[in-house]
Amino acid sequence: MFYLPNIVLVVVLALLGIGIYCILISRNLIKIVVGLQIAVKGAFLALVLAGKLASQIDVGQSIALTVIVADTIVAVVALALAVQIRRKFGTLDVHALMSLRR
Amino acid sequence: MVDLFIGAGILFCAYKAMQENRLLVSALWLALTSALVSWMMYRVGAAEVAVVELSVGAGLVTVLFVFAINIAGDESLTRQSLVPRPLAWFAVVFSMGLLVWMIMPALQSERMRAVLEQTGVLAGLFRSVLWNDRRVDTLMQVVLFFAGALAVLGLIGEPNKSREERE
Amino acid sequence: MTAGILLLTIFLPWAGALFVWLVGNDRPRLQHSLAVGFSVAGGVAGLALLALGSPDEMVVLSIGGAFGNFSFRPDGLGVFLATIATVIGSLAVIFSVDYMRHEAQLGRYYALVLFFIGSMSGLVLTGNLFLMFAFWEMTALCSYALISFYNDDPKAVAGGIKALVMTQLGGIGLLIGAILSYSYLGTVEINVLLDKAELLPSNVLGIMAFGFLIAAAAKSAQFPFQTWLPDAMEAPTPVSALIHAATMVNAGVYLLARFYPAFAGVPGWQEAVMVVGMLSALLAGLMALVATDLKRVLAYSTVSQLGYMVYAVGAGGVFASQFHLFSHAIFKALLFLGAGAVIHSAGTRDMREMGGLGKQMPFVRTVFVIGALALAGIPVLNGFWSKELVLEAGLQGGATWMFGVMLFTAGLTALYTFRCVWMVFWGEPHHPAHLHDAGPAMKTALAPLAFGTLFSWLLAGSFSHLLEKTLPYHDIHAVSLVEILEEVIFAPATWIALGVVALGVLTWVFRDSLRLWQEVFAGIGQTARQSFGFEWLNQAVVRTTIQVAEDLRNLHTGVLNWNVLAIALTLLVVVVILALGA
Repeated sequence: MFYLPNIVLVVVLALLGIGIYCILISRNLIKIVVGLQIAVKGAFLALVLAGKLASQIDVGQSIALTVIVADTIVAVVALALAVQIRRKFGTLDVHALMSLRR
Repeated sequence: MVDLFIGAGILFCAYKAMQENRLLVSALWLALTSALVSWMMYRVGAAEVAVVELSVGAGLVTVLFVFAINIAGDESLTRQSLVPRPLAWFAVVFSMGLLVWMIMPALQSERMRAVLEQTGVLAGLFRSVLWNDRRVDTLMQVVLFFAGALAVLGLIGEPNKSREERE
Repeated sequence: MTAGILLLTIFLPWAGALFVWLVGNDRPRLQHSLAVGFSVAGGVAGLALLALGSPDEMVVLSIGGAFGNFSFRPDGLGVFLATIATVIGSLAVIFSVDYMRHEAQLGRYYALVLFFIGSMSGLVLTGNLFLMFAFWEMTALCSYALISFYNDDPKAVAGGIKALVMTQLGGIGLLIGAILSYSYLGTVEINVLLDKAELLPSNVLGIMAFGFLIAAAAKSAQFPFQTWLPDAMEAPTPVSALIHAATMVNAGVYLLARFYPAFAGVPGWQEAVMVVGMLSALLAGLMALVATDLKRVLAYSTVSQLGYMVYAVGAGGVFASQFHLFSHAIFKALLFLGAGAVIHSAGTRDMREMGGLGKQMPFVRTVFVIGALALAGIPVLNGFWSKELVLEAGLQGGATWMFGVMLFTAGLTALYTFRCVWMVFWGEPHHPAHLHDAGPAMKTALAPLAFGTLFSWLLAGSFSHLLEKTLPYHDIHAVSLVEILEEVIFAPATWIALGVVALGVLTWVFRDSLRLWQEVFAGIGQTARQSFGFEWLNQAVVRTTIQVAEDLRNLHTGVLNWNVLAIALTLLVVVVILALGA
């Protein structure tokens, strides 16, 4: 019951759940990026675990590495956008972005 | 036993990161989560990627967060969520439940198990749905077609003046 | 070799579009020469491809298992339409050098025209239904953007939107057909569909057949969608000649002809196709009789002639319809470009303000009259032979009363053609100023078309041979030119038709002595001016679409959280569907 893959699996699911929930309910843009980070951590943990279970840990590692890099880039761009939005709209509230709607 | 503690630690940190209203503190909890995740990856046996996660996830990204929050400034927003919380709960719980149901062959119904064993796919429904025949891709493409069509329709529609004024 | 030339007909114009656009509007001379260079190169590739027609797939691009291969096949139906698109496209571009000389935003104009030429080649050459749909929509997009080219004119914008909505409506029919083919046969290969059509359940085949009919009717401006084409005349005239007379509107006829073997057995389909063609031909002919805008007259006559082609496909005369399409593309492009030259120098499109232009523009008058005679079906121009073949196919494959209506329409065609020519080039001059004849580039474009109008019927024999050789499913028998000529000359239908045409001409000549009859027909004319109420119908479709779009806009919440929730739930639904279906 308490052996490693099961624990990791539970952690993966919980991280995904917390991350998505955070994205869904946060109004703050930076907070949404935090939620995204949490969810992605769950995702690459799952990749590593899958690699381990298939005894192909190196494949799992390389894909996880790719995900980490992509995720970092996403964080960089998202944060830069958040900063710009704060400058332009004076707030980080998601609601303020409704004016983008046409 | 150590694994159990690491797992509990990760979940606690992630929960605090989500719950915390002050951005800076939230970012620090995220860094802690990241560090613990990298430890867990080390325990699983992925030492190389654990190092990368520790340096990039816990280091670089945290620096970026702190930097961005410093520039943008902290801002205490109302905790009132735009999406009703029960709906968000439902979406999360339902999707995680679906995932569990698909990953664990033991949880699947007898009929499913028989089918899966016949086809030799024992890794679970997850694999057969997501990987075999790429059916998720195909269906998602169909969905994307419709989304694109709706978006283009939105471009054609003429702005409704009364609504603009009401807002 | 063949594969390379085939791809050249698509990618040369596209490359040209890119270059013209990149050059920028500061250098109009370079833009003109680049556009002409690339389109003429495309035309040469198209002509070369004509000699290389074959029923085999020449280009196969593998794109993974789900959708089959992207294949291109230079068979008879496709190759000659690709040639028409590229050759008439290059002539239209040459004509534009004079017509668009001092216009702004040449880059946008030429890029869209060239993009259209490439897409049209792709549409007719591809052997994959989904790819066909993609090209189909690309041509619709170019058509829309070019109709609305003068985008500060609200009429042009409205006409463009109308054309777009109407052709999209038809595109849905095509998409439904493609999806049904995919779900029942597991493939979107056109030839597999033609091969295995009998294996489909009859109701599915029926839905596909009528879906394709709707697609064709919308694209070719057939009944009941016929009103978008006249409104599309706000486009620059070379565009009208290329897209709305010679190529894009033929895509509907092409679609019907391409899938005729699969759908011929569907009960009621052939009759429906023939009725659609007949009604379009008749109603548009009546509307052409009362229109006063030169380009609208030509647009109505295009709808009417396309009706002839659709009628011929319905009657089983695939060769006749394609041959008429070939002739029509040439003489109608000639007429439109001639009209463009007239409009360019007269500065108006209203025929009541023209008159007596023949003496001032002798060259344009000559070529326009050649085109008009072909349209009216006067021997020995190309329109005569192909129209007789269509009528004969209709007599053999369809009801006699429909044949009668088509005969009547032939007379009507002669009548409105002579009215149009008379009002523009003869009669009382209403235009005091001296007008210049067509410019050198215009003449360069008009002369080959006039030549083609006079002599293209000589190609009928080799054309039918090409169709027989490369279309395994259509069951077309090659006939030599002499056989076709004999068949046409010795058929009684020809003489009846010629008599009706002569009657139409005489009606115009003795119009003054027929005042009484004009009074009788005034009521019909009044209704025809209002497009028999279909204008209202089509407006309603457009209005509804825009209203639906407006209502759907509420889905665009603009709130990130809601969007993420929607994405997550959609993914969930998809996965649940798949998991339950596993």
